[in-house]
Amino acid sequence: THVLNTGMGVPGAHMALSLHRMDPSTSLWNLLTTGTTNDDGRCPGLITRETFTPAVYKIRFETGQYWGSLGETSFYPYVEIVFTITDHSQKFHVPLLCSRFSY
Amino acid sequence: MSSTLPNSPLTTYVLNTGDGVPGARMALSLHRLDSLLVIWNLVTVGTTDEDGRCPGLITTKAFTPGMYKMRFETGQYWESLGQNSFYPYVEIVFTITNPNERFHLPLLLSRFSYSTYRGS
Repeated sequence: THVLNTGMGVPGAHMALSLHRMDPSTSLWNLLTTGTTNDDGRCPGLITRETFTPAVYKIRFETGQYWGSLGETSFYPYVEIVFTITDHSQKFHVPLLCSRFSY
Repeated sequence: MSSTLPNSPLTTYVLNTGDGVPGARMALSLHRLDSLLVIWNLVTVGTTDEDGRCPGLITTKAFTPGMYKMRFETGQYWESLGQNSFYPYVEIVFTITNPNERFHLPLLLSRFSYSTYRGS
């Protein structure tokens, strides 16, 4: 992933995020990884190739907390992006470009 | 539910940026978070029209301050066009503090990308 703060033209640094996988039999989300973006807005080591099985995944970005730590409000308390992985041998980049009122 | 309502304080607009057309006939639903039970209550279900819009989402009376979620059945939409998509659905969660304002929640969408913004 790569988080960009388009409102201020800087990387979305020190933003908490988490990766989840949907359990197809229960339809519940299983937490796989939690992390925080670095100074560059990136978060290396989200998942290993073995764990990255075909499934529905969700990345949750704690954008509300992020804007709060900058002393600002935001329209969105958090952002969740749900996506389907069928071919897990590929590499996937799920960037988030966000401002206080848009992503 | 509120299909005859002329002026919902919350509106949406779906645009299929991949094909350069309105996102027509897409199912969607609006939910409000019950802050006590921390569960989502379904407020409205609807389908976008030929223009990608969905009038009558909520009444001014029902539009209380709180956390809301708009869910767009984008996966179904792309399937109906014979295509697959990276996202099975799109959910946008937003906070309403002043319900006297108008809120426009558009979704610009392709098979591999989407974007939203707060309009009025």
